[in-house]
Amino acid sequence: MIAAPPDEVWSVVAAPERQAEWFPGMVSSVVEETGEGTFRTIHTASGAFIREEVLGVDHGARRFEYRIIGPFRMEHHLGRITVVPDPFGSLVIYEQELEPKALTYVLDGAIADALNGLRDLVVEGRTSRSWIEPTTATGIGGST
Amino acid sequence: MASRILFVTTDQQRFDALGCNGGRIARTPVIDGLAASGVRYERAHPQNVVCMPSRATMLTGQHIRNHGVWMNGVPLPADAPTVAGLLNDAGWRTGLFGKAHFEPFLDPFLRFPQNRMGVTGATNEDGHPHRGFERMEFAGHGSGGLVHYGGWMREHYPEHMMSFYPPLDGTLDVNADGGGDTGAPQVLRNPVPREIYHTDWVADRAIDWLGGLSDEDDWFCWLSFPDPHHPWDPPDSELHRVPWRDLDLPDGYPSNQTEREVALDAKGAHWRRWYDGDLVSNFEAPARWVPATLTADQVREVDAMAHIENELIDEALGRLLSTVSNRGWDDDLHVLFTTDHGEFQGDHGLLFKGPFHVDALMRLPLVWRPAPTTGIAPSVVNDPVGLVDLAPTFCMIAGIEVPDWMDGAPLPVTPEEAARRQRPAVLTEWDSVHPGGSEVHLQTVTLDGMVCTRYEAGTCHEGVEGELWDLVGDPLQRTNLWDDPVRRALRDDLVAELDALLPERPADPLRTQAPV
Repeated sequence: MIAAPPDEVWSVVAAPERQAEWFPGMVSSVVEETGEGTFRTIHTASGAFIREEVLGVDHGARRFEYRIIGPFRMEHHLGRITVVPDPFGSLVIYEQELEPKALTYVLDGAIADALNGLRDLVVEGRTSRSWIEPTTATGIGGST
Repeated sequence: MASRILFVTTDQQRFDALGCNGGRIARTPVIDGLAASGVRYERAHPQNVVCMPSRATMLTGQHIRNHGVWMNGVPLPADAPTVAGLLNDAGWRTGLFGKAHFEPFLDPFLRFPQNRMGVTGATNEDGHPHRGFERMEFAGHGSGGLVHYGGWMREHYPEHMMSFYPPLDGTLDVNADGGGDTGAPQVLRNPVPREIYHTDWVADRAIDWLGGLSDEDDWFCWLSFPDPHHPWDPPDSELHRVPWRDLDLPDGYPSNQTEREVALDAKGAHWRRWYDGDLVSNFEAPARWVPATLTADQVREVDAMAHIENELIDEALGRLLSTVSNRGWDDDLHVLFTTDHGEFQGDHGLLFKGPFHVDALMRLPLVWRPAPTTGIAPSVVNDPVGLVDLAPTFCMIAGIEVPDWMDGAPLPVTPEEAARRQRPAVLTEWDSVHPGGSEVHLQTVTLDGMVCTRYEAGTCHEGVEGELWDLVGDPLQRTNLWDDPVRRALRDDLVAELDALLPERPADPLRTQAPV
């Protein structure tokens, strides 16, 4: 729930280049248009990058859809953010479908932080852009 | 006179890794020497058989249900009380060097403080102790990861960044790729020079920190080696130590396929289903690797690699102890050596770890060499103890009252003292909920020479099955007595004891935030 009108929340969500302003741990979000579509490259605070394809920005339904295309080998991914009017202001629904499952928990936890970051940006004008430059970082971590 | 505690842990090390425990492969004279002049525990069990829950228990002195870290990927709450915090508050200098894993490793968005420290090179949390440690320098299982060792390798030896086995594959699952001579999973020939391998780096960082302490400082140093946890990729230069072709198969490896599969079928359904590649219950073993494909030669090669790593650990520890001795600190030094959980290493025809409460994963090396000034005589304790008892032991050594929030009790130093313990039973729990749909829950009590495991209902079990092992009569754990009518009363008594000892489950379990 975000105590702001849906159009105000949607104006932030609908701008793929602005995601690093409200997604904690993202350093940059760079959008490029090619003849094959709209693509976005996310750089994270750990030094990793995530390549995504923007599948659709539906202003009528206030729905943003994208999929991760690299560098991880995902058999399937679909991310969907929908902004719905609510008596409190706006309800933001952030959904993920993915296979294989290893990233499930990582994205789940990060998205919970991101929804708080979106609220902070829209309501308080406070950005969550990462303070760590990725020059010294290596990747995403890992190992069991 | 200062008090000093050196707490040494390895990762995923078997009881029989050490010469003092009957191990016949790795030469471990340093640890054997500590055991000979200290207390050796014949049956030390973890409270969980994977890293994060077990390490949270070591740090807090709490059972799984009380600290809440029920599986890898569940971070220990930032405000969890720790024994390091108690000691630091009491004026002790506190440091941890090596693998911590109190917070998840897989963290692209740097949500966790330890990963931020690893990436930035910070050795504390914004100038303050982190979880009670005033200095922390992290290492993981290779050159990658968000750890200090990775940054050091990248800065000084970039040519070796790719020398190590990549623990994860391109889908971020545990890597199943095989290597070495036999194609065993998680085995790789590693050209990295021995001097820059993480085992020696961990000891070097601790030695550096100790060098800055004064003779008057009380200190607690957690020396946490990431080996012999997979991947099994020790420096190539050391492979001559244990030629795998010369090794006998481990006693616990049933080399006859029929015998192996009959023994697996005598256990719960999740054993055979994993062996056949029909079950992925967790992220602890490669999901794409099928245990039934494990060959005898692969067991030998993994065994050799692990024992080479055990020797390197012993030598690195010896180097650190020499440094301490040269400072004249040895008489007041307590050394405790253990690991977080075990490893199949061929037992039952399996590798890695998972929801399996048998000796391969539960019987751990534990040695306490008390400070010589205490006058505690060398001893062997046969009764079960738990890693939950470590933090209370550190409190006792430091002269700090064991707080109510700790569940364990100081370790006994004689068999007589062990026999006087109010409840000599030890608990071990497993809870896994895999996003692929499987769910496994086990609860185990070890008492009176028996290990009793109850399966809770999940996707593999109906909730009426279990395991009952006679540790004396069946040391290889081949005959499951759970359904033996002759043992029914004993089983009922042990389950009642289990229920009496288990803390309540948290009403709102902590969330998993990464696979590892």
